[in-house]
Amino acid sequence: MWDLIINPFVTLLTWFYSVLNQDIVLAIVVLTVIIRFLTYPLLARQQESSRKMQQLQPQLKKLQEKHKNDREKLSEAQMKLYKEHGVNPVGGCLPLLIQFPILIGLYQAIFFALAATPFQLVDLPERLLIPGLDHLIPIQRIWLGMDLTLPPTTNPTYALVLPLLVLVTTWAQSKLTMSMSKQNKSDDDKDGSDDTSVAGQAQAMTQSMTTIMPLMFGFFSLSFSVGLSIYFVTSNLVGIVQYSPQGRAVLDKIFSSNKSEADVIVDSKDEEEDEPVKKPRKTTKKKPRKK
Amino acid sequence: MKLTNLKRYRLLFLLVTAVVVLSGCYGTRQGTSWPAIGLIEFNDEQYIAVSYNGQMELVRPDTGSFASLINPATGEIRRTENNDPRTWVLNGPDYDNAQFFSSPIQLEDDRYLIADYNNRLLEVDAITTTVEDITPVEDHVLANILVVDDVLYIPFQNGGVTAMTLDDKDVLWSYPTEEGVWAQPINVENQIIFPSLDHQLYSVDIDSGELLWTADLEGGIASTPLLANDRLYVGSFNKKFFEISLDGEILNDYDTQNWVWGTPAIDEDGIVYVTDLSGYVHALDTNDDLSSVWSVQASPRGIRPGPIVYEDRVIVASRDGIVHWLDKRDGLTINDQEIEGNPELLGDLIFLEPSDTLNIDEPLIVVSSTNTGELLIAFGIDGRQAWVHKR
Repeated sequence: MWDLIINPFVTLLTWFYSVLNQDIVLAIVVLTVIIRFLTYPLLARQQESSRKMQQLQPQLKKLQEKHKNDREKLSEAQMKLYKEHGVNPVGGCLPLLIQFPILIGLYQAIFFALAATPFQLVDLPERLLIPGLDHLIPIQRIWLGMDLTLPPTTNPTYALVLPLLVLVTTWAQSKLTMSMSKQNKSDDDKDGSDDTSVAGQAQAMTQSMTTIMPLMFGFFSLSFSVGLSIYFVTSNLVGIVQYSPQGRAVLDKIFSSNKSEADVIVDSKDEEEDEPVKKPRKTTKKKPRKK
Repeated sequence: MKLTNLKRYRLLFLLVTAVVVLSGCYGTRQGTSWPAIGLIEFNDEQYIAVSYNGQMELVRPDTGSFASLINPATGEIRRTENNDPRTWVLNGPDYDNAQFFSSPIQLEDDRYLIADYNNRLLEVDAITTTVEDITPVEDHVLANILVVDDVLYIPFQNGGVTAMTLDDKDVLWSYPTEEGVWAQPINVENQIIFPSLDHQLYSVDIDSGELLWTADLEGGIASTPLLANDRLYVGSFNKKFFEISLDGEILNDYDTQNWVWGTPAIDEDGIVYVTDLSGYVHALDTNDDLSSVWSVQASPRGIRPGPIVYEDRVIVASRDGIVHWLDKRDGLTINDQEIEGNPELLGDLIFLEPSDTLNIDEPLIVVSSTNTGELLIAFGIDGRQAWVHKR
């Protein structure tokens, strides 16, 4: 099943290598940027879904208190609330679940296209889905004196800068994600919402992600091939752009400009319908914080 | 111990991360190459030498069991402290995790020379399996080394061939290539001919290492050319098979269905049999500019090794763990033998003819798999399985 995702990426990567003057690093960068760009609507939807869920937290908390002894009723009330506010509780996970196979496919494609041993190379002809690419094999895998198929530890010393770059860019991307969720949280606070335990835990989880993820990816990059480090760095840089306010503004504009006039009308109608959602929040009394 | 919600979230997060990382590793092939098999003399008899990953061993051709170590003084089998017979095994972990993917070379005085993947040549005492000498070389060795007149011609994984004296290990010359040399070079008169993944077939002077000619085969080349009737026959990754003169001129070519990775075989009528990675076997007439006699898809999976031609049959082993016996005249299947568990059959096949030194009374086809539980499987010429060697 995975081959259905991996093989088109291997083919695309080889094709980009062909048209980009047989520069595999450029091919990896371009393909990563394109894939991240194309999956941006999924990312935006996921962020939007998270934001909506966060806004509903105070009401969910109330429902939990109201129906704390009746799980069935709680579930019903929660579903009703989600329906009323047009929120899909798994709406945040679905785009993420769709993105994972794509990113894993791309990661695998780099591994397979840069096959350096007979055992790896023997699979490649089955993965090239369009004719006319076979003469490009083997793909040139030496870049700036580094063998892209080997980990930084078995390359020249300066290759160790790549895991460092992976660490820094992963940290920067996580930091941006965290600042976004913080911003959402402070918006909620302004609206008078309660800092419930669930929201607080999510916040704590994001905080631990900011520490663990960069260290983990930096560590993995020491043993993964240099080619994959290039993919990680590129992917993180694109993520940084996508998470930054300016980047999001530009990308939102690009993707919203593709919408038809009818879509825009529906969107504005949705916004009108969304309006009552905000009203109850304004009437919510802010609980005094315990010292 | 009661877990707080926060801890549960953290555990869940770690679990999800682990799943993502592990699924990211899905499908990545672990390993370097497939087993190399060849014949070698030991105690005045011939044995099958198998080199694969961290071990090299000798196998009896008649039973498929490990060769036993013999005490030359008494003629008796050496035994361990537990009185078990000692077997002929060279353990890579005992020598800085040596990995083996090429066949050993027979030296004088019961010694073998084995190239490992750790950039070394190991000289082994065949009687005791002890490594007596280690010579570093410049790169990994994946393919068999050619020996001509006490000179080693060593192909390297990342490119080039080096000529080195057998006795003193002095480098005579090195010829670099842009990409790796993954097949054994051959010697024709004063030429050392070797293929490279950089699309070129090279011929260099045997004494000086100077380039004599190159032939551009439009794709990577990973198989040893077949020399027959003063012609070279070899295929490339550009889905083509070539007939080349001994001065490097491409005389004829033929379009295959996929990459050609195995060395072809030729029969007495001049029909050359070629396998490709789409599972096709092609019979081409060398007397008629490589015109097609027949072309059949023996397997839906690829065929990596070259075929064996014996009497009226062509025998091939496909990646789906099946050995096929085809009729030489039309390519129709005579017999298929599926190996249990369908292990990948990627290593070269060897054909054993009955002889006193081999101790077999019928011809055998030996195939190697990447599954160490069925590392070698021997078949009679009729397709009956003779034995299985497991590591």
